[in-house]
Amino acid sequence: MSDRFTITLDGRNCPATSGETVLDVAGREGVSIPTLCHDPRLDPAGACRTCLVEVAGERRMQPACAFRVRPGMEVTTGSERIARHRKVLYGLYLADHRLDGSGLPSENGSVNRLREQAARSGALVLPPVNAPRSGRPGDSNPYIRFDPDLCILCARCTRYCDEVEAVSAITLTERGAATTIGTIGDSGLLDTSCELCGGCIDTCPTGAMTEKKSYGIRHEEMEQVRSTCNFCGVGCQVDLKVHNGRVVKVASPPPGETVNDGNLCVKGRFAYDFIHHEERLRYPMIRGRDGELHRASWDEAIRKTTEGLLAVKEKHGADALGFVSSSRCTGEENYLMQKLSRAAFGTNNCHQCAAT
Amino acid sequence: MTNSIPEIRDADLLFVIGSNTTEAHPIIAMEMKRAVRNGARLIVADPRKIWMADIAHSHLQLKPGTDVWLLNAMAHVIVTEGLTDDAFIEKHTEGFEAVRKGLSAYTPEGAETVTGVPAEAIRQAARDYANTPRAGIYYTLGITEHTHGTDNVYALANLVLMTGHLGVRSAGMNPLRGQNNVQGANDSGATPIFYPGYQRVGDPEVRLKFEAAWSVSLPPEPGLNLNVMMKAMARGEIRGMYVMGEDLVISEPNASQVEAGLNNLDFLVCQDIFLNETTRYADVILPAACFAEKDGVFTNSDRRVQRVRKAVEPPDEARADWEILCDVARTAGYPMPQYESASRIYDEMAALVPAYAGISHARLEENVAGLQWPCPEPGHPGTETLHLGGPLIGRAGFQVVEYRESDELPDDDFPLVLSTGRVLYHYNAATQTVREPGSMAKAGRNFIEMHRRDARRLMISDGQMVTVSSRRGEVQAEALISPRMRPGCVWMPMHFADSRANLLTNDAGDAVTGTGEYKVCAVSIRA
Repeated sequence: MSDRFTITLDGRNCPATSGETVLDVAGREGVSIPTLCHDPRLDPAGACRTCLVEVAGERRMQPACAFRVRPGMEVTTGSERIARHRKVLYGLYLADHRLDGSGLPSENGSVNRLREQAARSGALVLPPVNAPRSGRPGDSNPYIRFDPDLCILCARCTRYCDEVEAVSAITLTERGAATTIGTIGDSGLLDTSCELCGGCIDTCPTGAMTEKKSYGIRHEEMEQVRSTCNFCGVGCQVDLKVHNGRVVKVASPPPGETVNDGNLCVKGRFAYDFIHHEERLRYPMIRGRDGELHRASWDEAIRKTTEGLLAVKEKHGADALGFVSSSRCTGEENYLMQKLSRAAFGTNNCHQCAAT
Repeated sequence: MTNSIPEIRDADLLFVIGSNTTEAHPIIAMEMKRAVRNGARLIVADPRKIWMADIAHSHLQLKPGTDVWLLNAMAHVIVTEGLTDDAFIEKHTEGFEAVRKGLSAYTPEGAETVTGVPAEAIRQAARDYANTPRAGIYYTLGITEHTHGTDNVYALANLVLMTGHLGVRSAGMNPLRGQNNVQGANDSGATPIFYPGYQRVGDPEVRLKFEAAWSVSLPPEPGLNLNVMMKAMARGEIRGMYVMGEDLVISEPNASQVEAGLNNLDFLVCQDIFLNETTRYADVILPAACFAEKDGVFTNSDRRVQRVRKAVEPPDEARADWEILCDVARTAGYPMPQYESASRIYDEMAALVPAYAGISHARLEENVAGLQWPCPEPGHPGTETLHLGGPLIGRAGFQVVEYRESDELPDDDFPLVLSTGRVLYHYNAATQTVREPGSMAKAGRNFIEMHRRDARRLMISDGQMVTVSSRRGEVQAEALISPRMRPGCVWMPMHFADSRANLLTNDAGDAVTGTGEYKVCAVSIRA
């Protein structure tokens, strides 16, 4: 069983449970500690050193994301020493990073937590270093793009690929300053075990892993509408990102909020091209005597529909009609379809399509 | 599902049968992977060596269609080794004695002969399942798409009841629903035997309730299920059809029969977002809005009602399905109310369905994770785990289940068993996913997956185009020689309009549900 005890956080007594990390307790207490490599779905890595805090009795600062609480532990999350550490840390990250004119990490449309944090805390300006990290310029997969000069090697993407999606398509490759996010033999993602779930994009804190489809559209310029994915029966919640009246991106709500816990699959995240596809049906159509379909008005099409169904009913009875409803449509629409079948046309021959 | 998706990660044992979870329900598969990482035991029963079998502690690679034998043998072990939860059986169930007696013939050794699964593996799986308190069963269409699909489900339910694995967090009976709203469509009454909320059409009191609510007299006899409707259409008994959001020609078994039937119709109206194989027979086509262009709710596998919200406008004159249905009803002379929004339709339905009554569009604005039915009143938090503290219906009934062979078995002319299913990158009739570059890059054409031994016997090499034939039709597909298959068994996805698996499949249906036998039919293959 886990023990309950208190720890001191910035001078305040806070309840804690054995097994929790300092970051867990701080999150519950509303104390904000910046993180980059932390994702609640992943085992703590303590890799990015952004979340270092002071713990009484520990000579070195400790990563809040990985450091487990102990009874009576005294933690300080903000001090001059911590501020100095962060300034140096961000400076080091920025030294081999692609920067814009303001000296902050370049933006490519994705949420960029490194940029936000460096802007807030300040970063020591160090002479730029040319990083020899390579990407995969020949990767022809249509969805996932990797910009090596925006990567801080926090390994959230590779850990997600190992621990959550469990396909291990990407990994840290090369050594030293050349370390990068690679694949076996530098293959394109289509030729690896990658299932194109795009979880690496969602978890990336710097926009190094990003979407090819919506590349460059700033996230602030997109309107966001929460909805439910229209593919399988898991019911993942999705944020449809709308730009100029079109869905240009689909993302998951943050981990911990909805049934999908921040995750999506390849269809939920990327298979939205059908929405604005040129082959969508745009007008009602009626088959003419020539056997071809012709554009019609809604009035004509609805009248023709009703006449066609009523003619069958008159000649052969209501049970010569069949109504096929759709498990792809909403609950309200299924309700109306069976009501239409039963109340308007008088038959119980109504079944939704997933019946077989 | 009697449990909820977030409970999966806390399970100590997962028994996954007839579910290719990583491809058909990828996000539930992530939860299962997490459970296994946390130390849960995973037992997979599937004729194919699917991805989940790679991380499973035990893979029971049974012959297609022999599930009842396998499950009865597991029950046999549980009973003979005294692993039953007698207190649960006594308090919460009925009919156990008959089941217990009926199981004596289903020995693990007998099961090995019929199913091909080693007797010792069956014994071990049965012991592990019975002895683990938080043990959940997860199944999909590999269980239900058989002429004995209902028997398969009963056999699973018997296992659940005799071990008391019900009404416990992370332990229960969990069908994973294939479509976004298959649960909701059933809940809403789009079935020939139930009004909304599973209220029986054949019950006169129920009929009176709906007649009063809808101010109309209603037909007393239950209707035809979809499988029977397709056959009635082929016989000329169904003469007019209204098809919303479904491609019958791709999705229904024995597709050439379906096409012949559609050709016979006096009148067909299709309401959809794209032209498809079925619209070729339509007299009228009504253009509909897709999910991103309308409001409403979907209900997922764990009974979670969640909002669908309009994000963009439909193309040109396309309209939401619910608006079109209202117009058709009114033009036909039925006074469908003037609903201002989908939320009003929901309210009308919820007033008739007790399990939905506590949920409204307004409540779903505040509950970002949705609300799970039953949710009988507005203050109710929804129901995460069903049957806590005992079965909802009082006592749960055991069912005696006897093994029956599949409708069509392999013979000299058609010596291989074909099962069909879904791949990760496509969705059902694939009208949406064939228009997606990534899906086409990963899975651009049809294939027939087979064991090397069968390929060698037929002189077929990997990647070669072959002809697959059954008594009902034939298709061309690329041979995929794969270590995932059992010898004698082949597998084909059902997505591709230019190479339709359902020209081959058998439309014999389950006696209760009418679900077609997509998982077993006899085929031959030639180069």
